[in-house]
Amino acid sequence: MTMVPGNWYAVAAEHDVPAGHIYRTALGGNDQAIRELAIWRASDGAVQVWEDRCPHRGVRFSLGEVVGDELRCQYHAWRFAKGGACTFIPAQPDMKVPGSIHAKAWPVAVSAGLIWTGVDPVGEPPVLGEGAAIRAVPVARPLAEVETALAQADLPGLALTLQPLGDTETIVRGLVANGDCAAADRALAALRRQLECVA
Amino acid sequence: MILYDAHHVAPAYAVRLLAGFLGLPLELQGMDVYPGHDDRSDEFLALNPLGTLPVLVDGDTVFTDWQEILAHLALAHGPDWYPATDPALVGWLGIARDLAASAGAARLMQTFCVPGDLAEAKAQAERLLDEVERRMWFAERAGHGWLLAGTHPTIADIAAFVSIAPCEDGGLSLRDRPALRRWCDRVRFHPGFVPMSGVFPPMANT
Ligand code: FES
Repeated sequence: MTMVPGNWYAVAAEHDVPAGHIYRTALGGNDQAIRELAIWRASDGAVQVWEDRCPHRGVRFSLGEVVGDELRCQYHAWRFAKGGACTFIPAQPDMKVPGSIHAKAWPVAVSAGLIWTGVDPVGEPPVLGEGAAIRAVPVARPLAEVETALAQADLPGLALTLQPLGDTETIVRGLVANGDCAAADRALAALRRQLECVA
Repeated sequence: MILYDAHHVAPAYAVRLLAGFLGLPLELQGMDVYPGHDDRSDEFLALNPLGTLPVLVDGDTVFTDWQEILAHLALAHGPDWYPATDPALVGWLGIARDLAASAGAARLMQTFCVPGDLAEAKAQAERLLDEVERRMWFAERAGHGWLLAGTHPTIADIAAFVSIAPCEDGGLSLRDRPALRRWCDRVRFHPGFVPMSGVFPPMANT
């Protein structure tokens, strides 16, 4: 199994999404299609996790721009507010935008410095404890293999969680208890080399 | 100053970008690389026997290396962009040249049908992008926003940006290279930014 409906998955760290930036990632695999995600913050700091596709013509939201309290699509500058509702269509400035025009917004939880989402996630995200969010490390192997390798690896002080991207790629995220992100990065880079060499 | 330029050539874009940031007027001499092959004309090869773009003519001096042009313009018009006392500048300009030969070459093969070994170019580019991503992530944690430590962007940022920002045209991806995407935003939002096809400008802030 890779991605399981009902689970929460960490897809970014809080520091990945400074004000005004649109962060881009994806989540999926197994029988769940890959979902491209665009993540940004409204001006009150509320994190938005949206499908990375404008409902107008399907352009990636992550090519767009945060303007004030809204995300503006790069192509025809439609604007979308927190929650996903389209608020303004420049080609029809006098029209009240129909409520049916909506970005697909995903469930969001923020905990332990990480941003979590999922398909119909149940309850709260897993508790990783205290520590600094490490640099996310992508590994070109399926989630199950990465999971097995992590279970066998000696990685003291690291609380890790996995983000599946399709059936061949997994991102390792998590926290390092003592805050030594550089050491954590070296350990995960070694793990990545080991996993990617096994053909 | 005359710049022999082609819109899609990343090293030529680097010069236009620095000129934009410095507010320098350039007289652009547009070259028809394809299908015209202006860069193989006797006239151009007399100016630059290597036949590479861009070429800058400043007074009596002809510059034929894009990084040398960046250095020349920065030294003459914006020394903040050329921190000569920081050895890291040399390292980063080298990485930028390697990026041009890999990510930049992949873009030319994929988008402009230039012949070459696409798989090898992409493999080398992936290694470099991973490393620049890693360094930029730790630079951000240390409070820096640019490739070199400090508060001001340098010609190294420009030299790397022109290969990294349009890398998806070469079949590479910036998805899940978040520090590089944030750094690209910082370059794009720096006053004086000029775009290139494949690199979006910030929209008017309305
Ligand atoms: S595709 Fe987004 S506004 Fe047209």
